Amino acid sequence: MPVSDLLLMTWTFLWLSLLCVGGGLGVIPEMQRQVVVNHQWVTAREFVDGYTLAQLTPGPTMLVVAFVGYRVHGVLGAVLATVAMFLPTSIIVVLVAEQWQRLRAHRWAASAERALLPIGIGLSTAGVYTLARSALHDVTTVVLALAAGLVLYHGRVPAMLVVVLGGVAGWILT
Amino acid sequence: MSVAQVVRVFALTGILSIGGGRAAFFYEALVARRRWMRVDEFLQDFTLAQLLPGATFSNLSITLGHRLAGVAGALGGLAAVVVPGGVVLVVLAALYVTRGLMPEVATLMRGMSACVVGLVAVTTLRMARPALASARAIAIAAATFTAVGPLKLNTPAVIVVMTAIGLWLNRPEPARHPQGGPCPQGGPCQ
Repeated sequence: MPVSDLLLMTWTFLWLSLLCVGGGLGVIPEMQRQVVVNHQWVTAREFVDGYTLAQLTPGPTMLVVAFVGYRVHGVLGAVLATVAMFLPTSIIVVLVAEQWQRLRAHRWAASAERALLPIGIGLSTAGVYTLARSALHDVTTVVLALAAGLVLYHGRVPAMLVVVLGGVAGWILT
Repeated sequence: MSVAQVVRVFALTGILSIGGGRAAFFYEALVARRRWMRVDEFLQDFTLAQLLPGATFSNLSITLGHRLAGVAGALGGLAAVVVPGGVVLVVLAALYVTRGLMPEVATLMRGMSACVVGLVAVTTLRMARPALASARAIAIAAATFTAVGPLKLNTPAVIVVMTAIGLWLNRPEPARHPQGGPCPQGGPCQ
């Protein structure tokens, strides 16, 4: 059971990685459905907490899979989840980058760009929606999200500082 | 550019890049500060990183690493941005699993998660503005959001259907004769 579950988890993150259109945020709705609802590897609360820790960590936010992998199968789970999330798509990117100078001259290349960018935005917005549904559940959290959004939109304050201060503010207010 | 130089600079850039809009850190490090590439080269690599499946930041480390030092630069660049963060996240996950149930930590996490929602909303808004230049692009983004978000439809199916619709709406113009009208078969167009 543990080994087959480890393989199932690795496979799940592999096919999820191929759905990251326009960035990792867009796959969050489907990832939450798989790891929270379908396989129950983590709770909805743990998933959004893991995403928050990934935001506070350097490097790609999709490292949230290392959090889920560790929660379910320890260090081995974290390593396999990370490899599954990053290696296959990376090989695709290397192969395309090798040919890109030739491919981008093709008349369908501009069409693909115009077609895929709005889809990526739609998926990312759905990712924001999924995270909001898990993270915002009372007046305090809604006010904190709005305040953080306003500060980050208008100011030049580092995002990490806003998130940590928001956590402290929430702790004091509760 | 040697692979070792790429790994060193990418690792430094990866460690410094926290919070939304992380591609800006690469721009700063490679175009503005070191002048290793031109702006148009960077934008070309950024577009490719967004178009292909995968996290944009890791894809960007590959397209930029590839431009600077070939396949070895791409893989070295990827490892340089993924491994340090992965190690930090495993340590945080271990702390979370052992301490996460403590009420003070749970309250702190609650406030931070709420702020992260604000952060990803602002990042998405910034990306959306240049990408949603036409009514047709807005319609596609709105339909994709509704299908995957509130309606909870199957994401792969939504991507396939919306890509087909998007490609058809943005199909290249058929080649035209310089005087107007379609090209003659085997004629001098293109």
